Parts: sequence; C-alpha cells; structure tokens
Amino acid sequence: MQIAERKSNDVTVFDVDGDIDINSSPDVRKTFEKPIGEKTAKLVINLSNVSYIDSSGLATLVELLKRARSYGGKIRLSNLAAKVKSLFEITKLEKLFDIYDTEEEAVSNFE
Amino acid sequence: MENKEVIIEVKDLVKSFDDRKVLDGVNLKVHKGETLVIMGGSGCGKSTLLRHMTGAYKPDSGSTFIKGKDITKMKESEFDNIRKIFGMVFQYSALYDSMDVEENISLVLKEHTKLAKDIISIMVKMKLELVGLRGFEKFLPSQISGGMRRRVGLARAIAMDPEIVFYDEPTAGLDPIVAGVIDRLILDLSKKLHITSIVVTHDMRSAFTIADRIIMLYEGKIIAEGTPDEIKSGKDPRLVQFVEGNPDGPIQFFQNSGEYLEELTK
Repeated sequence: MQIAERKSNDVTVFDVDGDIDINSSPDVRKTFEKPIGEKTAKLVINLSNVSYIDSSGLATLVELLKRARSYGGKIRLSNLAAKVKSLFEITKLEKLFDIYDTEEEAVSNFE
Repeated sequence: MENKEVIIEVKDLVKSFDDRKVLDGVNLKVHKGETLVIMGGSGCGKSTLLRHMTGAYKPDSGSTFIKGKDITKMKESEFDNIRKIFGMVFQYSALYDSMDVEENISLVLKEHTKLAKDIISIMVKMKLELVGLRGFEKFLPSQISGGMRRRVGLARAIAMDPEIVFYDEPTAGLDPIVAGVIDRLILDLSKKLHITSIVVTHDMRSAFTIADRIIMLYEGKIIAEGTPDEIKSGKDPRLVQFVEGNPDGPIQFFQNSGEYLEELTK
C-alpha cells in the first residue's frame, strides 16, 4: 500500500494505492498525522486504487475523521469501488463520511 | 456448487481414540461463502471433525486442506498465518470471566496486530454494532444474559475479519427465541461479510434455518448430504430417525442386556 500527496488549489488530495488492512492501517495513520494536525485542513482521500478495506482500515479512517474534526479540518472520500462502498454501508459508516463519486466533485465542493 | 471455489477440503480423514474409531474415512469439500452444517447425534464425531478442520487435532491418517494447503503437515509458523483467516465460536461462548466485553473482543487484536489502542477500540464498537450489542463494552460476561454472551463470542470470532468461521454448537442451551436470534446473526454475518461458515449442531431447527448444505455424520461416516430440503425428504432410516428425533430406529442407544450381565460377572 502506498499513499501519494498532491495539491489541488487549497485542497490536499491523497491517492491511496493498495488495500487498507491490518498490515497497512498503521502506515495510513502515520501518513496523515501531520496534514491532519493543520488547522482548517481540507483533505480528499481518493480511493480509486483501493479494492479492499478491512475493519482496521475503516476504524483508522474513522479515527482520522475524528481527529480532523477536532482540529477544525475536513476529510472527504472519493472514487470508492463498489465493494469498498458496500463495506461502508454494512458498517453504517457511509452516513459518517462525506463520500463523493468523483474527486472533482469532492474538491470543488469545499467552501 | 461443483464449479465453486473450494476453501476447505477434508480427505480420507481417520481418527481413533483408544480403540474407538471416531472418524472413519471422511471426505468433504467446503465451498467459499457457503454455510455448511455438520449434524449428527452425540458422539457421532462431528466435533472431532470440526477440530480437525481447525487444526486442533491431528488425524491418524488423511488430510485437511485450507485454501489448498495441508494443515496437517504445516510448520507452526505457517499454521499461525492460516489461523488468522479463521474465527471460532465456541460452545457456551467460552469468554474470559474476568475480562469485560471489550477486552474479550480486543484480546486477539492486541495479541496479533500492531494496531493502536484507540483504533482497536473503534473496531470493537463496530463489531458490537454488527451483533446488536453496542454500549455493552464495559460489562462483564457474568452481567449479561447467555444469549448476549453468545453474541459477544460472535463479535470476538469476527474481530480479525476472518474468511472462515467455525461454530461449535452455537445455539446449545438457549431458549428457542434467543437461538433464533443467533441463527439470524449467523446468516446475516455470513452473507453480509461473505464469510464461509462451518457449523456443528444437533439443533435441527437451527440447521434447517442457516444451512446452504447439510451433512449428517453417523459412526464417523457421512451418511447423508444435501440442501435442507433434500435432507428433510431423505429416505435413509438413520437420517429420518434423527430428523424426527425418534428414540426407536436403526440408531441404537442401548447396549444389549446379554453383554451387560456378562460384564458384571466377568
């Protein structure tokens, strides 16, 4: 699993490549430590190259969201594969996250 | 079912305890995603078969393959890796009495992963939501009902997102309504999370509710196999006797008295 970071105006987009599972979840958490600590962070996590997220991965995303909120930042998810989306539905997390079909929508919608 | 991926295969399994042959050449394939129920009377070998599938017992001869690998010939380190893809639900849940619900579920995550405490705590909440027990994290097993303890056992079994879950008599000793709740959960989790389930039970109602396929073991051999409907309409007198719960029939529960008198005076 790898994560690349790029800027799109004042939004930071993260491209995750690979599964987010028990082995890679700790790395995901580490990668986001700094950007999430910045006040009013606007982050989009593009999941188009993620085919599976296990429950440790989902929990890690929940924790990121929690932390971002506490700093006044925002996290959005985009480009979820059908299987990944169904995992968010089963665990009822689709109501917790701002999920967008495309990265464009996710980026352009930030106030 | 023939073209489906085989996730577990049992080949010519034979096991004796002392002189008694408990498994007598069992052959069995479990397909990915199905719920297979192994049924049979007490002492028919069904729990022994389950324990061979989980690697707890070694056979006298024969093999158990999980995802194509023979677990009877594996090194411990290799087996530890395979062990991570399956969860177990034990008879009477087997929770640690001194640990609260959260600690019982998180134990395996603390022992086998490098996940941080707060991540594990979120995972426990997610698992408890799946079994309908959110909010019970800090309760001790003794403070909740038997049915709730079973549900905690289920949450613990799926803590590591297993591909396979083995259930040993999941509804034993529960009243019919609570047993029905457990059945519904087993069905729900298997289908939602695409888990392959192997369930040992002698609870016929439960077997017919949850099974995609049922096998019946008798004297260490598989004597019937089929969908719940096929099993219900089966003609084998041993199967009929078991399904109907009839004390009289080909399955003998009493030794003949001649031997008894001989044994007393031996």
